[in-house]
Amino acid sequence: MTAEPVLIGRTLSLGYNQHALIRGLSFEVRRGEILGIVGPNGSGKTTLLRTMLGLQKPLAGTVERKASLAISYMPQRERIDAILPVTALEVVLMGRSARAGVLRRIHSEDRDVAQRALALVGGEPLGNRLYRNLSGGQQQRVLLARAIAADSEMLVLDEPTAGMDVASEAAMIAFLQELNRSQKLTIVIVTHLLPVVLNLASSVMLLGTHSILHGPLDEVLQEESLTELYGVPVHIGIIAGKRTLVVGRPGDHRV
Amino acid sequence: MFEQTFIRLALIASVATGAMLSVMGTYLVIRRVVFMGLVLASAATVGAAGAQLFNWPPELGSIAASVATALGLGAIQRPRRISAESIMGWAYATASAATVLILAGTPGAGLDELHLLYGNLLAVSVSHAVGLVVLALVIGLLQILFGRRFLLVTFDPEAAQVAGVNTTFWSLSMNLLIGIATAAAVHEIGALLTFSLLTLAPTASLLAMRSIRSTFGMSAALGVVLACLGVVVSFHLDWPPGPTSVALLAVSVPLAAVVGWLRDTVPKIGDKPDAPDSAAH
Repeated sequence: MTAEPVLIGRTLSLGYNQHALIRGLSFEVRRGEILGIVGPNGSGKTTLLRTMLGLQKPLAGTVERKASLAISYMPQRERIDAILPVTALEVVLMGRSARAGVLRRIHSEDRDVAQRALALVGGEPLGNRLYRNLSGGQQQRVLLARAIAADSEMLVLDEPTAGMDVASEAAMIAFLQELNRSQKLTIVIVTHLLPVVLNLASSVMLLGTHSILHGPLDEVLQEESLTELYGVPVHIGIIAGKRTLVVGRPGDHRV
Repeated sequence: MFEQTFIRLALIASVATGAMLSVMGTYLVIRRVVFMGLVLASAATVGAAGAQLFNWPPELGSIAASVATALGLGAIQRPRRISAESIMGWAYATASAATVLILAGTPGAGLDELHLLYGNLLAVSVSHAVGLVVLALVIGLLQILFGRRFLLVTFDPEAAQVAGVNTTFWSLSMNLLIGIATAAAVHEIGALLTFSLLTLAPTASLLAMRSIRSTFGMSAALGVVLACLGVVVSFHLDWPPGPTSVALLAVSVPLAAVVGWLRDTVPKIGDKPDAPDSAAH
């Protein structure tokens, strides 16, 4: 049985200052889906993400959310100014207090949830450390823990593995898959790293300059479509059970 | 010196303004919009000058101008081609020029009006001192009640908005409080000390402190203690009180930087070295 849609975009035109980057886009994000949004630089990935989140109005069209859909957003860590002397645990607790009532204080139960979320992402030892003193990968994990601690139905992640080493990236992919499987979380991930989407997403939205492909992973992320989109030969292979990508030079026919 | 009523009133005004401005100023420093403090102080003076033109109470003009500026700066959509500081710079230049031009065009504007605009800590009246204390208590209460919301919209406004927090409302509320506190303070302690309390005490505190709670606490403590100390020192040395307090606040910044540096470089007894970054599982 097909899961119900939780977020629907209808004939969207997206962009800035009346300059449309994306035109006529319609899509559905279904409950329990992991949707990867990929595309070259400037294709409108972040604009689409911000529109989905309600942070930016579309130039035309509408975005409908399922009533009372709770979304947690994990921005790129560079978007957060770490001047504030807050600990990692306090950052995670912000995920709780954002959902709580205005006058509600933080309870011990909230602290427990925040500690568990930190532990889930392997960040338990970071709890008392200042967020600004953490490495980039550690900050990513703390922001992910904040998103998890909010107990939302949908996670929206903007470049969650940016700046991570390969081990941390693999662990993040495995973790998000497990989160999706065990908690039935809907996950939308924007990234320019195709291997991340290849090994994580169940469906893909591939944003090109002239066309947008949206559908199941295997139908959308094919060598032909990627080669055409990026203008370089792209080959998809499987090594040790994981999909990987090999990119040739422009004009090459073999990789 | 404490037998003198004007000194006691100056100290009361110093405590009230030192506490409320340095606490609310912490948000300005964290949001990297310290210039907004100067703009608000200038808006308060232009409001007072404008009120002279119509024979209105200058306090009313100050508060109206500061609040309008604070809300306007919060609501304005920054064009992508320029920085927030550029807009602050424009607002500051406009307010400063308008103050001088309005005063120049106001018949009979003299030293009294300038005191009114730029403050005189040693001339604070009982009613104004009481007003400042009440305002400081209200701002303190609002900070206790809503400080968590203010921090949410300061740290990551977009994530807060996605989570359902009305970030526009809370940002404007924060600006509104800063605007009111600034307008009330400028009349009594002057634009220079108002701006210094808004920015220097929080800056020193952020340099020295390592937690959000202690940052706000230290900021308020520095604001109160150094503003009062300025009054005491100026009394004994026959210096003007406002600039004396500003000088003390200015000195506190490099001292706080040294304290922060020492806290970063000298490990506490029992501290363990940082573990290397490890993967999520």
